[in-house]
Amino acid sequence: MQIATSTGETKDHDLWRRIRMGDEQAFTAIFEKYHRTLYNYGSKLSPNSSLVEDAVQDVFIDIWRLRHNLAEHVTSVKFYLYRALRRRIHVALDKFPSMEEISELDDEDTPANHTNSEAILIEAESSSVRAQRIQELLAQLPERQLEALTLRYFDDFSIEEIAEIMGVNEKSVRNFIYKALTSLRQSREMLLISSLIFWMLLFF
Amino acid sequence: MKHDPYSLTELIRNEEFIAWVMHPDELSDRKWQAFLEKHPRKRKTVESAREYVILLAKDTGRHQPTRKQSDRMWSIVESHMHDEVTKTPEPVPVFKTSRGHGWRWARVAASAALILSIGSVSYWFYYKKADGPLQEVAVREEADLPNTIQKYNDTEKPMTVLLQDGSSVVLQPGGRLSYSEGSNRKRREVTLTGKAFFEIVKNKQMPFLVYSYGLATKVLGTSFTIDASSESKDIKVEVRTGTVSVFSINNLDNSQKEAVLDKPELEGVTLNHDQRIAFSKESGKIVPLPAAVAASSDKDVSKQQFVFDETPVSDVFRILEGAYNVRIVYDREKMGSCPLNATLIGQPLKEKLEVICNALDAQYEVADNQITILGKGCK
Repeated sequence: MQIATSTGETKDHDLWRRIRMGDEQAFTAIFEKYHRTLYNYGSKLSPNSSLVEDAVQDVFIDIWRLRHNLAEHVTSVKFYLYRALRRRIHVALDKFPSMEEISELDDEDTPANHTNSEAILIEAESSSVRAQRIQELLAQLPERQLEALTLRYFDDFSIEEIAEIMGVNEKSVRNFIYKALTSLRQSREMLLISSLIFWMLLFF
Repeated sequence: MKHDPYSLTELIRNEEFIAWVMHPDELSDRKWQAFLEKHPRKRKTVESAREYVILLAKDTGRHQPTRKQSDRMWSIVESHMHDEVTKTPEPVPVFKTSRGHGWRWARVAASAALILSIGSVSYWFYYKKADGPLQEVAVREEADLPNTIQKYNDTEKPMTVLLQDGSSVVLQPGGRLSYSEGSNRKRREVTLTGKAFFEIVKNKQMPFLVYSYGLATKVLGTSFTIDASSESKDIKVEVRTGTVSVFSINNLDNSQKEAVLDKPELEGVTLNHDQRIAFSKESGKIVPLPAAVAASSDKDVSKQQFVFDETPVSDVFRILEGAYNVRIVYDREKMGSCPLNATLIGQPLKEKLEVICNALDAQYEVADNQITILGKGCK
């Protein structure tokens, strides 16, 4: 038994309409609903938390400031917000070319499968550590692979939407995700092999 | 490298599959159940792909702001709402790149050297010990995996899930409950992330177990709340009625675990009504918490007393509607003013309805989103 009042999309559109008319409550509701996931997404684009905070704030400040000029029909409010945030962060990063440069390099050069020695050496204590390990693996993915994974799995965007948000074609998005998953899988396979080796050492 | 369209990696990125895992509905459920019937060998792959999708969703969503950051962001946004002339401030970029380039490469090199020597051994230890969601499922799927059902509450209101045995679970927004419905099972098992209030039908032969991040909560029939949010470091368990036992399953190997889970007795730390504990996901330690301050939010189902003394049935139904977020349809004219005497605390929704219907000489039906009460009323 499950009772849903209205779908997320129609609700967003309603809020959007009310924001355009200057409804502060609707604006608060949109902020409340999306600022956390936006911040989460922003964190994948820049490790600098104060920069991300500022960018999230600015997206919302802009919406309120320009509320009378907002497009009447947006296909998806969520999509609009994410794209706006990405632009914001990239504008902020552009001012610091050194940083942008590094993130570019990351995309090209980070090997798909290198295992963090620190992650391995941490003595496993409990179940949550297991999930943390996947997190560690995620932390080593090239930035754009991680970005695509986040948008796909956490934010639940379609490949088409992700392509538009990231400004690449759909094939690239599929590629980012595929590569990321392959490196997760490889580390899993490595585990199997290494446990085999261990057993052999144990027996001989 | 593989041409199997239903290999692990393919499933994990299959759009329909992701949609099913994240937002299962009747249609997708039917589709994937049919798939499993057609390809019974794929059951394990499907189960681990499902866990991967959930883990990926959880782990890529780990960078949410703290309460403090949220407040800070909102206060700045709010100050701009009422101060239209102020220019948007430039983002203050007084920072250094925290991704040191050279350091990163040094780490890669160090890793490479270490992997060969220590890597395999510690990896093995790591996995042997770690007992995460993936492995937990792996353990259970060996037994048998009938129809796994997943409920995810993506609404902003509580959602009531009725289990086959008559127990009810009120899942708070953001909560996720998965369980299998099958007949001949030794125990009733569900997996929870997020917060939920459980009212469990008594059955001493079949203990009811809730798994959340390495904590098992075992009951024979009672009501309690579990708060196992992915963001929080601790899992909180609070007992409303009856007795509940909690224990960590991280340090048990499979055969020990099976034995402990099957025993009809309660294990580990035992909690009685109104007692609370917190379980640390990291250390696996269980610490008692002081009794909750009685927050008189009469909306929350876990705080309701459900004591009715000559209460008009219309009020009773209103309270149930609020507590379980369900719609109850009945003939208000005929039944609305019938008085009811009952104490329904700790009983699952279905049992409550049975008691009420017995008193009213009525029947009830549950259809997807509403409960219909049929009766002649009291004369």
